Amino acid sequence: MSRQSGRFRFPLWIVLGAVLVAALVIGSGVLNSTPMTPAQRAAGIETRIKCPSCEDLSVANSSAQTAVVVRSTVRQLISEGRSDQQIEAYLVSRYGSAIVLVPPTSGWSLLVWLLPLGGGALAIALLTVVLIRKRRNGIVGPADAARAEAEFDVGASSGQLDARRQFLEQSLADAFAEHRAGDLSDQDYQALRRRDTARLAALDIRMVEADDLAGAGSVATVATVATVATVATVATVATVARAESDGGAEPVESAVAPPGSVPGPSRSRRQRFLMTGAVVSFGAALVVVVALFAANRLPGQTPSGNPTLSQQAQIQQSLNQAATLENEGQPGAAAQLYQQVLGQDPQNEVAIAQLGWLEYQTGSQGKSASLIADARAKLDQAVKLNPTDYAARLYLGTVLLDQDHDASAAVAQYQAFLAANPPASLLQQAASLLRQAYTQAGMPVPPAVPTA
Amino acid sequence: MGGHRARWIGIAVLVVAAGLIAVLAGRPSASVAEVQSPLLGHPAPAIAGTTLDGAGYSVPTAPGHFVVLNFFASWCAPCQQEGPDLVTFQFEHQLPGDASMVSVVFGDTLSAAQTYQKTLGATWPTLTDGNGKLALAYGVTARPTTFVIAPDGRVAAYIVGAVTAKDLDKVIAAAKATHA
Repeated sequence: MSRQSGRFRFPLWIVLGAVLVAALVIGSGVLNSTPMTPAQRAAGIETRIKCPSCEDLSVANSSAQTAVVVRSTVRQLISEGRSDQQIEAYLVSRYGSAIVLVPPTSGWSLLVWLLPLGGGALAIALLTVVLIRKRRNGIVGPADAARAEAEFDVGASSGQLDARRQFLEQSLADAFAEHRAGDLSDQDYQALRRRDTARLAALDIRMVEADDLAGAGSVATVATVATVATVATVATVATVARAESDGGAEPVESAVAPPGSVPGPSRSRRQRFLMTGAVVSFGAALVVVVALFAANRLPGQTPSGNPTLSQQAQIQQSLNQAATLENEGQPGAAAQLYQQVLGQDPQNEVAIAQLGWLEYQTGSQGKSASLIADARAKLDQAVKLNPTDYAARLYLGTVLLDQDHDASAAVAQYQAFLAANPPASLLQQAASLLRQAYTQAGMPVPPAVPTA
Repeated sequence: MGGHRARWIGIAVLVVAAGLIAVLAGRPSASVAEVQSPLLGHPAPAIAGTTLDGAGYSVPTAPGHFVVLNFFASWCAPCQQEGPDLVTFQFEHQLPGDASMVSVVFGDTLSAAQTYQKTLGATWPTLTDGNGKLALAYGVTARPTTFVIAPDGRVAAYIVGAVTAKDLDKVIAAAKATHA
């Protein structure tokens, strides 16, 4: 061993690694002993807390209202003497662990930290193994690969050479089809074509040599080997070239496939197959989405949607819909529409009366004095707004009869009800109540009241 | 060989798509999701503040009935979608000791929120939450967000997205069954 070769050589990568570690340690601030100011602490916490109403943005980088509130809360909690951990715990107790941008190093979240490290280590290990194997085998580039193929061809049987030729022809055809479909660039296609053409030429020579040796051919035959092989290869390549110039009307596989081979489906067929699948999937998803989001039409709503109506027409439409819902036994939905009408027209006596009547029914069922009182107030208001509103009169009379047992007062309301010419159907429904009130009040039942 | 592979890939894509459609179709609704919250099962943060009318309002720590707390904005489409159902729910549960509604303005101007609530027919208290403290206390990230608070003051449900009166009925029935 010479002095030169025995001298200690300190690896450069160790020096680079040491510098990197030192820079990271210094940059992380762990060596900094100066205590942080409240503003620095707040800034640090704010970069670790996600803006509640944003996507992947810290509160430090967001001007959303929720982010502003979180920032002010963080500063307030710091001023109250809370530690960083306590502040983060408080926010987690409100928003959940997703509010912290830095995942915790415990539980399942530990995987977030470990998986990238594991994946990186695995990738480095695999790369190392591959490089070592390549170095051992001496195959480090395309030239070596070609040499290895040539070595394989030398020892191959006639059947293996045939199979390899078919493979190369198929490879040429595939490259052409991919190029035609736009999946392969011109440059890549030409490179692949040159490579496979050269391989085919070399293979043809090898095949003719093998045939010749097997048949103990003459020197003359051997001399023509190169010519024959070249012609065969050129014929194959010319077929591909012709298909190129023809614009690819026929699948290239069939143009270059050896006789007897079964051509596989072309790329365009595969694409059609996948495209059909995608369209069918999209259509099915569309049907599901429409079914999920389609809303039920409200009673009285036209099938063609909601045309623009005047406010009065909208109110009348809402009142009609509410009446239908009420008749269908949906008082809550009906009440919502009456409330909506009152939002537009607070003095609408129809909505006030109907809402009062619904409240009375609910209140009497639940024996709620406060609700009954609210209902009565609404009915009084409706009568004041429109003394000829027959429905309000009927409802108020019924409340007076049922709750106050005041038949005379109820009759007074019923007289106003009859004077307002109510519809026959309503008169028929109210007949028994009217007869009861008039009888209890000792008054004759008017002839307008239908008999039982 | 290549053709077979493409066929199998196509079949696999179709199977995955069909499975996805089946899963999506099986979901009750894409617009509403009862989700997990750290507050679930814990005492609800205090509900107090100023209403749109300028009056003070607060809910007792143990209200003795269910309280539905709804964070909304007038411009948000899912809020507009659920609004009528909230009014229906409020009407159907207005008997004393049943359930009450409280709304909180979240990311909206007070005038727009007031007009919206009036048009909707919402007669329950609507808190302004001008400093956003109530939204932070409840960890609200999106609108609409609805909390159901049990009579004992614990958070029984946390729903993100438009709710219906039936959704709330189910949540309350489940909470009653749990506490029974």
